[in-house]
Amino acid sequence: MSDENMVIAGYSETAVEFRSGRSAYDFAGEAFAALLASTGVDIARVDGLSVTVPLSECANPFFAFYMTEALGLSPTWLNYGGMGGCSATGGVARAMAAIREGQCEVAVVLSADAPSTNWGANYGAWRGEFQDPVGVLGPPSAFGLLMSRYEHQYGLNYEALAKIAIAQRQGGLMNDNAFEKLKKPITVDDYMNSRMIADPLRLLDCVMFCDGGNAFLVTSEAKARELGIEKMVRPTAYAEVTNFKGADPVADVTETGFSVLAPKVFEKSGLKPGDIGSFQPYDDFTIAVMMQMEDFGFCEKGKGSDYVMATDLSCKGDLPLNTGGGQLSAGQPGLASGGLNLAEAVRQMFGEAGQRQVANTQNALVTGIGVIPYARNWGTSTAMILEA
Amino acid sequence: MSEEQIKPRPTPKPNRFVDTNAFWQGTKDGQLMMQYCPDTKQFQHYPRPISLYTGKRNLEWRKVAGTGTIYACTIVRVPGPSMEGRLPLSVVTVELDEGVRILGNVLNMAPDKVAIGQRVELAWDAVNDETAYPAFNVVEA
Repeated sequence: MSDENMVIAGYSETAVEFRSGRSAYDFAGEAFAALLASTGVDIARVDGLSVTVPLSECANPFFAFYMTEALGLSPTWLNYGGMGGCSATGGVARAMAAIREGQCEVAVVLSADAPSTNWGANYGAWRGEFQDPVGVLGPPSAFGLLMSRYEHQYGLNYEALAKIAIAQRQGGLMNDNAFEKLKKPITVDDYMNSRMIADPLRLLDCVMFCDGGNAFLVTSEAKARELGIEKMVRPTAYAEVTNFKGADPVADVTETGFSVLAPKVFEKSGLKPGDIGSFQPYDDFTIAVMMQMEDFGFCEKGKGSDYVMATDLSCKGDLPLNTGGGQLSAGQPGLASGGLNLAEAVRQMFGEAGQRQVANTQNALVTGIGVIPYARNWGTSTAMILEA
Repeated sequence: MSEEQIKPRPTPKPNRFVDTNAFWQGTKDGQLMMQYCPDTKQFQHYPRPISLYTGKRNLEWRKVAGTGTIYACTIVRVPGPSMEGRLPLSVVTVELDEGVRILGNVLNMAPDKVAIGQRVELAWDAVNDETAYPAFNVVEA
Protein backbone atom coordinates (compact mmCIF):
# COMPACT_ATOMS: atom_id res chain seq x y z
CA MET A 1 0.00 0.00 0.00
CA SER A 2 1.23 3.42 -0.93
CA ASP A 3 1.09 6.34 1.51
CA GLU A 4 0.86 8.80 -1.32
CA ASN A 5 -1.76 11.53 -1.25
CA MET A 6 -4.72 10.75 -3.43
CA VAL A 7 -6.37 13.61 -5.25
CA ILE A 8 -9.33 14.58 -7.37
CA ALA A 9 -7.39 16.18 -10.20
CA GLY A 10 -10.27 17.26 -12.39
CA TYR A 11 -14.04 17.36 -12.70
CA SER A 12 -16.59 17.88 -15.42
CA GLU A 13 -20.31 18.18 -15.57
CA THR A 14 -22.89 18.35 -18.35
CA ALA A 15 -25.85 20.68 -18.28
CA VAL A 16 -28.89 19.18 -16.56
CA GLU A 17 -31.73 18.66 -19.03
CA PHE A 18 -35.28 17.35 -18.84
CA ARG A 19 -36.45 14.70 -21.31
CA SER A 20 -33.31 15.33 -23.30
CA GLY A 21 -33.94 12.35 -25.58
CA ARG A 22 -30.34 11.37 -24.92
CA SER A 23 -28.92 8.28 -23.20
CA ALA A 24 -26.70 7.78 -20.16
CA TYR A 25 -23.97 6.69 -22.58
CA ASP A 26 -24.20 9.98 -24.42
CA PHE A 27 -24.11 12.10 -21.25
CA ALA A 28 -21.25 9.97 -19.93
CA GLY A 29 -19.34 10.46 -23.15
CA GLU A 30 -19.87 14.21 -22.98
CA ALA A 31 -18.70 14.36 -19.35
CA PHE A 32 -15.74 12.06 -20.04
CA ALA A 33 -14.56 14.04 -23.07
CA ALA A 34 -14.91 17.29 -21.13
CA LEU A 35 -12.84 15.83 -18.29
CA LEU A 36 -10.04 14.81 -20.66
CA ALA A 37 -10.15 18.24 -22.28
CA SER A 38 -10.07 20.18 -19.01
CA THR A 39 -7.26 18.10 -17.49
CA GLY A 40 -5.26 17.54 -20.67
CA VAL A 41 -5.03 13.84 -19.86
CA ASP A 42 -4.62 11.51 -22.84
CA ILE A 43 -7.33 8.86 -22.99
CA ALA A 44 -4.64 6.16 -23.11
CA ARG A 45 -3.57 7.08 -19.57
CA VAL A 46 -6.96 6.19 -18.06
CA ASP A 47 -6.64 2.70 -16.57
CA GLY A 48 -9.39 2.73 -13.95
CA LEU A 49 -13.12 3.33 -14.30
CA SER A 50 -15.96 3.58 -11.82
CA VAL A 51 -19.42 3.71 -13.38
CA THR A 52 -22.65 4.53 -11.57
CA VAL A 53 -25.65 2.26 -12.09
CA PRO A 54 -28.17 4.50 -13.90
CA LEU A 55 -31.95 4.26 -13.62
CA SER A 56 -32.19 4.60 -17.37
CA GLU A 57 -29.92 1.64 -18.21
CA CYS A 58 -30.06 -0.56 -15.12
CA ALA A 59 -31.91 -3.36 -16.87
CA ASN A 60 -28.56 -4.13 -18.49
CA PRO A 61 -26.28 -5.82 -15.92
CA PHE A 62 -23.34 -5.18 -18.23
CA PHE A 63 -23.71 -1.41 -18.46
CA ALA A 64 -20.26 -0.82 -16.92
CA PHE A 65 -18.61 -3.07 -19.51
CA TYR A 66 -20.63 -1.48 -22.32
CA MET A 67 -19.36 1.87 -21.05
CA THR A 68 -15.72 0.78 -21.39
CA GLU A 69 -16.51 -0.36 -24.91
CA ALA A 70 -18.33 2.88 -25.70
CA LEU A 71 -15.32 4.88 -24.49
CA GLY A 72 -12.62 2.56 -25.88
CA LEU A 73 -11.05 2.02 -22.47
CA SER A 74 -9.22 -1.11 -21.24
CA PRO A 75 -9.24 -0.47 -17.51
CA THR A 76 -7.31 -2.68 -15.09
CA TRP A 77 -9.83 -1.70 -12.40
CA LEU A 78 -13.58 -1.44 -12.98
CA ASN A 79 -16.17 -0.59 -10.36
CA TYR A 80 -19.94 -0.57 -10.88
CA GLY A 81 -21.43 1.65 -8.21
CA GLY A 82 -24.92 0.73 -7.08
CA MET A 83 -25.31 3.07 -4.15
CA GLY A 84 -27.54 5.54 -5.93
CA GLY A 85 -26.68 9.08 -4.94
CA CYS A 86 -23.65 7.81 -3.00
CA SER A 87 -22.02 6.29 -6.06
CA ALA A 88 -19.95 9.37 -6.99
CA THR A 89 -18.38 10.03 -3.58
CA GLY A 90 -18.25 6.27 -2.95
CA GLY A 91 -16.67 5.78 -6.38
CA VAL A 92 -13.94 8.31 -5.58
CA ALA A 93 -13.19 6.54 -2.29
CA ARG A 94 -13.06 3.14 -4.00
CA ALA A 95 -10.84 4.52 -6.76
CA MET A 96 -8.43 5.88 -4.15
CA ALA A 97 -8.25 2.47 -2.48
CA ALA A 98 -7.70 0.74 -5.82
CA ILE A 99 -4.87 3.14 -6.70
CA ARG A 100 -3.28 2.59 -3.31
CA GLU A 101 -3.48 -1.16 -3.97
CA GLY A 102 -1.77 -0.70 -7.30
CA GLN A 103 -4.78 -1.87 -9.34
CA CYS A 104 -4.75 1.27 -11.49
CA GLU A 105 -3.10 4.69 -11.59
CA VAL A 106 -5.51 7.10 -13.25
CA ALA A 107 -9.19 6.43 -12.59
CA VAL A 108 -12.28 8.20 -13.86
CA VAL A 109 -15.39 8.18 -11.69
CA LEU A 110 -18.19 8.53 -14.18
CA SER A 111 -21.88 9.01 -13.45
CA ALA A 112 -24.56 9.65 -16.03
CA ASP A 113 -28.26 8.97 -16.11
CA ALA A 114 -31.29 9.92 -18.16
CA PRO A 115 -34.39 8.78 -16.22
CA SER A 116 -36.54 11.62 -17.53
CA THR A 117 -35.95 10.22 -21.01
CA ASN A 118 -35.95 6.49 -20.27
CA TRP A 119 -37.10 4.92 -16.99
CA GLY A 120 -35.45 1.50 -16.82
CA ALA A 121 -35.75 0.70 -13.14
CA ASN A 122 -37.85 -1.90 -11.37
CA TYR A 123 -37.13 -1.92 -7.65
CA GLY A 124 -38.95 -5.21 -7.21
CA ALA A 125 -38.14 -7.01 -3.96
CA TRP A 126 -40.75 -6.56 -1.22
CA ARG A 127 -42.22 -3.37 -2.61
CA GLY A 128 -44.94 -4.94 -4.72
CA GLU A 129 -46.36 -6.76 -1.70
CA PHE A 130 -45.63 -4.44 1.21
CA GLN A 131 -45.12 -0.87 0.04
CA ASP A 132 -46.88 -0.22 -3.28
CA PRO A 133 -50.30 -1.40 -2.01
CA VAL A 134 -50.37 1.36 0.63
CA GLY A 135 -49.51 4.02 -1.93
CA VAL A 136 -45.88 4.71 -1.02
CA LEU A 137 -44.78 4.72 -4.63
CA GLY A 138 -41.72 6.92 -4.46
CA PRO A 139 -39.36 9.01 -2.37
CA PRO A 140 -41.76 11.95 -1.76
CA SER A 141 -44.25 9.79 0.18
CA ALA A 142 -41.42 8.27 2.21
CA PHE A 143 -40.06 11.73 2.96
CA GLY A 144 -43.52 13.00 3.88
CA LEU A 145 -43.55 10.32 6.58
CA LEU A 146 -40.02 11.20 7.70
CA MET A 147 -40.80 14.93 7.84
CA SER A 148 -43.92 14.29 9.90
CA ARG A 149 -41.89 12.41 12.47
CA TYR A 150 -39.16 15.05 12.54
CA GLU A 151 -41.77 17.75 13.07
CA HIS A 152 -43.41 15.71 15.83
CA GLN A 153 -40.14 15.28 17.74
CA TYR A 154 -38.45 18.63 17.21
CA GLY A 155 -40.84 21.08 15.61
CA LEU A 156 -40.35 22.39 12.09
CA ASN A 157 -40.48 25.95 10.79
CA TYR A 158 -41.51 25.74 7.14
CA GLU A 159 -39.99 29.17 6.55
CA ALA A 160 -36.62 27.60 7.30
CA LEU A 161 -37.19 24.97 4.62
CA ALA A 162 -38.28 27.79 2.30
CA LYS A 163 -35.03 29.57 3.10
CA ILE A 164 -33.00 26.48 2.15
CA ALA A 165 -34.91 26.25 -1.14
CA ILE A 166 -34.48 29.97 -1.82
CA ALA A 167 -30.77 30.07 -0.93
CA GLN A 168 -30.09 27.17 -3.24
CA ARG A 169 -32.20 28.72 -5.99
CA GLN A 170 -30.02 31.83 -5.81
CA GLY A 171 -27.06 29.54 -6.51
CA GLY A 172 -28.89 27.80 -9.32
CA LEU A 173 -29.59 31.13 -11.03
CA MET A 174 -25.81 31.57 -11.33
CA ASN A 175 -25.19 28.03 -12.60
CA ASP A 176 -24.95 27.60 -16.37
CA ASN A 177 -25.51 23.86 -15.98
CA ALA A 178 -28.76 24.20 -14.03
CA PHE A 179 -31.93 23.01 -15.74
CA GLU A 180 -33.29 26.00 -17.63
CA LYS A 181 -36.88 25.85 -16.33
CA LEU A 182 -35.70 25.98 -12.72
CA LYS A 183 -33.82 29.21 -13.35
CA LYS A 184 -36.28 31.66 -11.89
CA PRO A 185 -36.15 33.22 -8.43
CA ILE A 186 -38.51 31.92 -5.74
CA THR A 187 -39.92 33.58 -2.63
CA VAL A 188 -41.19 32.35 0.71
CA ASP A 189 -44.72 32.77 -0.67
CA ASP A 190 -43.86 30.65 -3.70
CA TYR A 191 -42.63 27.95 -1.34
CA MET A 192 -45.65 28.12 0.98
CA ASN A 193 -48.04 28.14 -1.98
CA SER A 194 -46.35 25.30 -3.82
CA ARG A 195 -48.67 22.33 -3.85
CA MET A 196 -48.61 19.62 -1.22
CA ILE A 197 -47.16 16.38 -2.53
CA ALA A 198 -47.16 14.26 0.64
CA ASP A 199 -47.97 16.43 3.66
CA PRO A 200 -46.08 18.20 5.05
CA LEU A 201 -43.82 17.88 1.97
CA ARG A 202 -44.40 20.54 -0.68
CA LEU A 203 -43.37 20.63 -4.32
CA LEU A 204 -40.57 23.10 -3.59
CA ASP A 205 -39.13 20.69 -1.01
CA CYS A 206 -38.47 18.17 -3.80
CA VAL A 207 -35.99 17.57 -6.57
CA MET A 208 -37.04 17.00 -10.15
CA PHE A 209 -35.76 13.95 -12.02
CA CYS A 210 -33.72 15.10 -15.02
CA ASP A 211 -30.88 13.85 -17.24
CA GLY A 212 -27.17 14.62 -17.02
CA GLY A 213 -23.70 13.43 -16.16
CA ASN A 214 -20.44 14.20 -14.41
CA ALA A 215 -16.92 12.83 -14.18
CA PHE A 216 -13.94 13.05 -11.83
CA LEU A 217 -10.29 12.25 -12.35
CA VAL A 218 -8.82 10.38 -9.37
CA THR A 219 -5.11 9.70 -9.11
CA SER A 220 -2.12 10.18 -6.83
CA GLU A 221 -0.77 13.67 -6.34
CA ALA A 222 2.56 12.56 -7.87
CA LYS A 223 0.86 11.13 -10.95
CA ALA A 224 -1.26 14.24 -11.35
CA ARG A 225 1.87 16.42 -11.32
CA GLU A 226 3.54 14.06 -13.80
CA LEU A 227 0.51 14.55 -16.06
CA GLY A 228 1.02 18.30 -15.85
CA ILE A 229 -2.07 18.92 -13.72
CA GLU A 230 -1.89 21.79 -11.25
CA LYS A 231 -5.39 22.05 -9.83
CA MET A 232 -6.29 19.26 -7.43
CA VAL A 233 -8.04 18.66 -4.14
CA ARG A 234 -7.36 15.98 -1.58
CA PRO A 235 -10.20 13.88 -0.19
CA THR A 236 -8.75 13.75 3.33
CA ALA A 237 -11.63 12.03 5.04
CA TYR A 238 -14.37 9.71 3.84
CA ALA A 239 -16.90 7.57 5.63
CA GLU A 240 -20.01 5.66 4.60
CA VAL A 241 -22.68 3.53 6.19
CA THR A 242 -25.45 1.52 4.59
CA ASN A 243 -28.70 0.38 6.15
CA PHE A 244 -27.96 2.27 9.37
CA LYS A 245 -29.72 0.58 12.31
CA GLY A 246 -31.12 -1.87 9.79
CA ALA A 247 -31.81 -4.58 12.36
CA ASP A 248 -33.61 -2.27 14.81
CA PRO A 249 -37.34 -2.61 14.13
CA VAL A 250 -38.20 0.55 16.09
CA ALA A 251 -35.20 2.80 15.33
CA ASP A 252 -35.70 6.55 15.68
CA VAL A 253 -36.06 7.53 12.02
CA THR A 254 -34.81 11.05 12.71
CA GLU A 255 -31.44 9.53 13.61
CA THR A 256 -29.47 9.08 10.38
CA GLY A 257 -26.25 7.45 9.27
CA PHE A 258 -24.64 10.90 9.15
CA SER A 259 -24.69 11.01 12.95
CA VAL A 260 -21.96 8.36 12.94
CA LEU A 261 -20.11 9.63 9.85
CA ALA A 262 -19.72 13.21 11.05
CA PRO A 263 -17.44 12.48 14.02
CA LYS A 264 -15.35 10.18 11.80
CA VAL A 265 -14.68 12.69 9.02
CA PHE A 266 -14.07 15.58 11.40
CA GLU A 267 -11.64 13.51 13.44
CA LYS A 268 -9.80 12.20 10.39
CA SER A 269 -9.45 15.64 8.80
CA GLY A 270 -8.89 17.52 12.04
CA LEU A 271 -11.51 20.06 10.96
CA LYS A 272 -14.48 21.33 12.94
CA PRO A 273 -17.90 22.33 11.59
CA GLY A 274 -16.93 26.00 11.89
CA ASP A 275 -13.93 25.44 9.59
CA ILE A 276 -16.01 24.27 6.62
CA GLY A 277 -15.59 26.52 3.58
CA SER A 278 -18.62 25.27 1.72
CA PHE A 279 -21.24 22.66 2.53
CA GLN A 280 -22.44 20.64 -0.46
CA PRO A 281 -24.87 18.13 1.07
CA TYR A 282 -26.95 15.71 -0.96
CA ASP A 283 -30.27 17.48 -1.35
CA ASP A 284 -33.05 15.31 -2.65
CA PHE A 285 -35.39 17.08 -0.20
CA THR A 286 -34.98 20.23 1.92
CA ILE A 287 -35.52 18.30 5.16
CA ALA A 288 -32.53 16.08 4.32
CA VAL A 289 -30.38 19.22 4.12
CA MET A 290 -31.61 20.44 7.50
CA MET A 291 -31.10 17.05 9.14
CA GLN A 292 -27.54 16.95 7.81
CA MET A 293 -26.82 20.41 9.22
CA GLU A 294 -27.74 18.95 12.58
CA ASP A 295 -25.89 15.68 12.14
CA PHE A 296 -22.69 17.47 11.09
CA GLY A 297 -22.87 19.68 14.15
CA PHE A 298 -23.53 23.04 12.52
CA CYS A 299 -26.29 23.15 15.12
CA GLU A 300 -27.83 20.91 17.75
CA LYS A 301 -30.09 18.01 16.82
CA GLY A 302 -33.61 19.34 16.38
CA LYS A 303 -32.51 22.98 16.14
CA GLY A 304 -32.17 23.03 12.36
CA SER A 305 -35.03 25.49 11.82
CA ASP A 306 -33.57 28.08 14.19
CA TYR A 307 -30.09 27.60 12.77
CA VAL A 308 -31.26 28.10 9.18
CA MET A 309 -33.25 31.22 10.08
CA ALA A 310 -30.19 32.71 11.80
CA THR A 311 -27.61 31.77 9.17
CA ASP A 312 -26.64 33.29 5.83
CA LEU A 313 -26.53 30.29 3.50
CA SER A 314 -25.50 32.24 0.40
CA CYS A 315 -22.16 31.82 -1.34
CA LYS A 316 -20.92 34.90 0.53
CA GLY A 317 -22.51 33.85 3.83
CA ASP A 318 -21.64 32.06 7.05
CA LEU A 319 -22.25 28.61 5.61
CA PRO A 320 -22.26 28.57 1.81
CA LEU A 321 -24.82 25.85 1.01
CA ASN A 322 -25.09 23.92 -2.26
CA THR A 323 -23.72 26.96 -4.02
CA GLY A 324 -24.62 25.79 -7.53
CA GLY A 325 -28.26 25.32 -6.61
CA GLY A 326 -27.80 21.73 -5.57
CA GLN A 327 -30.09 19.15 -7.05
CA LEU A 328 -33.11 21.08 -5.83
CA SER A 329 -32.42 23.99 -8.15
CA ALA A 330 -30.12 22.52 -10.82
CA GLY A 331 -32.26 19.40 -11.31
CA GLN A 332 -31.43 15.86 -10.25
CA PRO A 333 -29.59 14.02 -13.03
CA GLY A 334 -31.00 10.64 -12.00
CA LEU A 335 -28.49 8.57 -10.04
CA ALA A 336 -25.65 10.76 -11.32
CA SER A 337 -27.09 13.04 -8.63
CA GLY A 338 -24.32 12.67 -6.05
CA GLY A 339 -21.74 13.89 -8.55
CA LEU A 340 -23.56 17.20 -8.86
CA ASN A 341 -22.83 18.17 -5.24
CA LEU A 342 -19.27 16.81 -5.56
CA ALA A 343 -18.59 18.72 -8.78
CA GLU A 344 -19.67 21.96 -7.16
CA ALA A 345 -17.36 21.33 -4.20
CA VAL A 346 -14.36 20.75 -6.48
CA ARG A 347 -15.33 23.70 -8.69
CA GLN A 348 -15.43 26.01 -5.67
CA MET A 349 -12.06 24.79 -4.43
CA PHE A 350 -10.57 25.22 -7.91
CA GLY A 351 -11.79 28.83 -7.77
CA GLU A 352 -13.88 28.31 -10.90
CA ALA A 353 -17.33 29.18 -9.55
CA GLY A 354 -17.52 32.65 -11.09
CA GLN A 355 -20.23 34.86 -9.61
CA ARG A 356 -21.00 32.35 -6.90
CA GLN A 357 -17.39 31.82 -5.81
CA VAL A 358 -16.99 31.30 -2.07
CA ALA A 359 -14.15 32.98 -0.17
CA ASN A 360 -12.83 29.94 1.69
CA THR A 361 -11.54 27.45 -0.86
CA GLN A 362 -9.41 25.53 1.63
CA ASN A 363 -11.97 22.78 2.08
CA ALA A 364 -15.49 21.55 1.37
CA LEU A 365 -17.82 18.99 2.90
CA VAL A 366 -19.75 16.83 0.43
CA THR A 367 -22.29 14.12 1.16
CA GLY A 368 -24.27 11.44 -0.60
CA ILE A 369 -27.62 9.83 0.11
CA GLY A 370 -28.67 6.65 -1.63
CA VAL A 371 -31.88 4.66 -1.78
CA ILE A 372 -35.10 4.90 0.23
CA PRO A 373 -35.68 1.95 2.59
CA TYR A 374 -38.92 0.70 4.17
CA ALA A 375 -40.38 3.21 6.65
CA ARG A 376 -37.07 4.75 7.75
CA ASN A 377 -34.90 7.59 6.36
CA TRP A 378 -32.37 6.63 3.70
CA GLY A 379 -30.31 3.61 2.74
CA THR A 380 -26.71 4.75 2.31
CA SER A 381 -24.98 7.85 3.67
CA THR A 382 -21.54 9.03 2.53
CA ALA A 383 -19.47 11.98 3.72
CA MET A 384 -16.28 13.31 2.17
CA ILE A 385 -14.09 16.20 3.21
CA LEU A 386 -11.95 17.75 0.48
CA GLU A 387 -8.96 19.87 1.36
CA ALA A 388 -6.71 22.03 -0.76
CA MET B 1 -65.07 9.93 -12.77
CA SER B 2 -67.69 7.69 -11.18
CA GLU B 3 -66.68 4.79 -8.94
CA GLU B 4 -67.73 2.26 -11.57
CA GLN B 5 -65.16 3.57 -14.01
CA ILE B 6 -62.21 3.19 -11.66
CA LYS B 7 -60.12 0.22 -12.69
CA PRO B 8 -59.94 -2.34 -9.88
CA ARG B 9 -56.55 -2.56 -8.26
CA PRO B 10 -54.62 -5.73 -9.06
CA THR B 11 -53.92 -8.25 -6.31
CA PRO B 12 -50.23 -8.02 -5.40
CA LYS B 13 -48.25 -11.04 -6.56
CA PRO B 14 -47.15 -13.13 -3.56
CA ASN B 15 -43.82 -14.90 -3.11
CA ARG B 16 -41.82 -12.70 -5.46
CA PHE B 17 -39.28 -11.97 -2.75
CA VAL B 18 -39.59 -14.60 -0.04
CA ASP B 19 -42.33 -17.10 0.84
CA THR B 20 -45.22 -14.89 1.94
CA ASN B 21 -48.06 -17.41 1.72
CA ALA B 22 -48.80 -17.09 5.44
CA PHE B 23 -49.28 -13.32 5.11
CA TRP B 24 -51.66 -13.70 2.18
CA GLN B 25 -53.58 -16.59 3.76
CA GLY B 26 -53.93 -14.28 6.78
CA THR B 27 -55.57 -11.61 4.63
CA LYS B 28 -58.20 -14.22 3.66
CA ASP B 29 -58.71 -15.19 7.32
CA GLY B 30 -58.86 -11.62 8.61
CA GLN B 31 -55.56 -11.98 10.47
CA LEU B 32 -52.38 -9.92 10.18
CA MET B 33 -49.56 -12.47 10.05
CA MET B 34 -45.95 -11.43 10.52
CA GLN B 35 -42.60 -13.13 10.56
CA TYR B 36 -41.40 -14.06 14.05
CA CYS B 37 -37.96 -15.05 15.25
CA PRO B 38 -38.54 -17.64 18.02
CA ASP B 39 -34.89 -17.47 19.12
CA THR B 40 -35.15 -13.81 20.12
CA LYS B 41 -38.95 -13.60 20.46
CA GLN B 42 -39.13 -10.63 18.10
CA PHE B 43 -41.22 -9.86 15.05
CA GLN B 44 -39.83 -8.42 11.83
CA HIS B 45 -41.60 -6.70 8.95
CA TYR B 46 -41.45 -6.68 5.97
CA PRO B 47 -40.60 -10.41 5.80
CA ARG B 48 -36.96 -11.32 5.23
CA PRO B 49 -35.05 -14.40 4.03
CA ILE B 50 -33.37 -14.66 7.47
CA SER B 51 -33.92 -13.42 11.01
CA LEU B 52 -32.52 -9.89 11.32
CA TYR B 53 -31.65 -10.70 14.91
CA THR B 54 -29.76 -13.98 14.58
CA GLY B 55 -28.88 -14.36 10.91
CA LYS B 56 -30.57 -17.78 10.95
CA ARG B 57 -33.45 -19.04 8.86
CA ASN B 58 -35.34 -20.18 11.94
CA LEU B 59 -38.48 -18.12 11.35
CA GLU B 60 -42.18 -18.62 12.02
CA TRP B 61 -45.31 -16.71 11.11
CA ARG B 62 -47.48 -15.51 13.95
CA LYS B 63 -50.60 -13.46 14.22
CA VAL B 64 -50.23 -9.95 15.63
CA ALA B 65 -53.07 -8.13 17.36
CA GLY B 66 -53.03 -5.30 14.83
CA THR B 67 -53.18 -2.66 17.52
CA GLY B 68 -50.61 0.07 17.77
CA THR B 69 -49.76 3.75 17.63
CA ILE B 70 -49.23 6.01 14.65
CA TYR B 71 -45.48 6.73 14.42
CA ALA B 72 -45.45 8.88 11.27
CA CYS B 73 -48.15 10.10 8.92
CA THR B 74 -48.51 11.75 5.56
CA ILE B 75 -51.20 12.46 3.00
CA VAL B 76 -50.23 11.25 -0.43
CA ARG B 77 -51.63 13.61 -3.05
CA VAL B 78 -49.81 12.53 -6.19
CA PRO B 79 -51.32 10.12 -8.68
CA GLY B 80 -49.71 6.84 -9.66
CA PRO B 81 -50.51 3.25 -10.53
CA SER B 82 -53.49 1.92 -8.53
CA MET B 83 -54.07 5.35 -6.94
CA GLU B 84 -57.22 6.23 -8.90
CA GLY B 85 -60.04 7.19 -6.57
CA ARG B 86 -57.85 6.94 -3.44
CA LEU B 87 -56.46 10.50 -3.28
CA PRO B 88 -55.86 12.22 -0.97
CA LEU B 89 -54.65 9.05 0.74
CA SER B 90 -53.75 8.77 4.41
CA VAL B 91 -50.48 6.84 4.72
CA VAL B 92 -49.06 6.04 8.14
CA THR B 93 -46.23 4.16 9.76
CA VAL B 94 -47.78 2.23 12.64
CA GLU B 95 -45.73 0.97 15.54
CA LEU B 96 -47.53 -2.21 16.51
CA ASP B 97 -47.76 -3.19 20.15
CA GLU B 98 -45.55 -6.18 19.35
CA GLY B 99 -42.62 -3.81 18.69
CA VAL B 100 -42.49 -3.73 14.91
CA ARG B 101 -43.52 -1.12 12.35
CA ILE B 102 -45.72 -1.43 9.28
CA LEU B 103 -46.85 0.98 6.59
CA GLY B 104 -50.57 1.24 6.10
CA ASN B 105 -53.58 3.38 5.26
CA VAL B 106 -56.07 4.84 7.73
CA LEU B 107 -59.56 4.09 6.50
CA ASN B 108 -62.00 5.63 9.00
CA MET B 109 -60.85 9.22 9.30
CA ALA B 110 -60.32 12.23 7.04
CA PRO B 111 -56.60 12.22 6.16
CA ASP B 112 -56.03 15.67 7.67
CA LYS B 113 -57.37 14.48 11.04
CA VAL B 114 -54.91 11.61 11.30
CA ALA B 115 -52.02 12.38 13.66
CA ILE B 116 -48.95 10.87 15.23
CA GLY B 117 -49.70 9.26 18.58
CA GLN B 118 -53.24 8.16 17.73
CA ARG B 119 -54.11 4.59 18.63
CA VAL B 120 -55.13 2.35 15.76
CA GLU B 121 -56.58 -1.10 15.23
CA LEU B 122 -56.49 -3.46 12.30
CA ALA B 123 -58.92 -2.85 9.43
CA TRP B 124 -59.16 -4.29 5.96
CA ASP B 125 -58.85 -2.34 2.73
CA ALA B 126 -60.66 -3.92 -0.21
CA VAL B 127 -58.06 -3.97 -2.97
CA ASN B 128 -60.58 -5.66 -5.28
CA ASP B 129 -63.43 -8.19 -4.98
CA GLU B 130 -61.07 -11.01 -4.03
CA THR B 131 -58.37 -9.35 -1.97
CA ALA B 132 -58.27 -7.40 1.28
CA TYR B 133 -55.09 -5.71 2.47
CA PRO B 134 -54.23 -4.88 6.09
CA ALA B 135 -55.00 -1.25 6.98
CA PHE B 136 -55.95 0.64 10.12
CA ASN B 137 -58.77 2.50 11.80
CA VAL B 138 -58.10 5.18 14.36
CA VAL B 139 -59.59 4.22 17.72
CA GLU B 140 -61.47 7.27 18.97
CA ALA B 141 -60.45 8.14 22.52
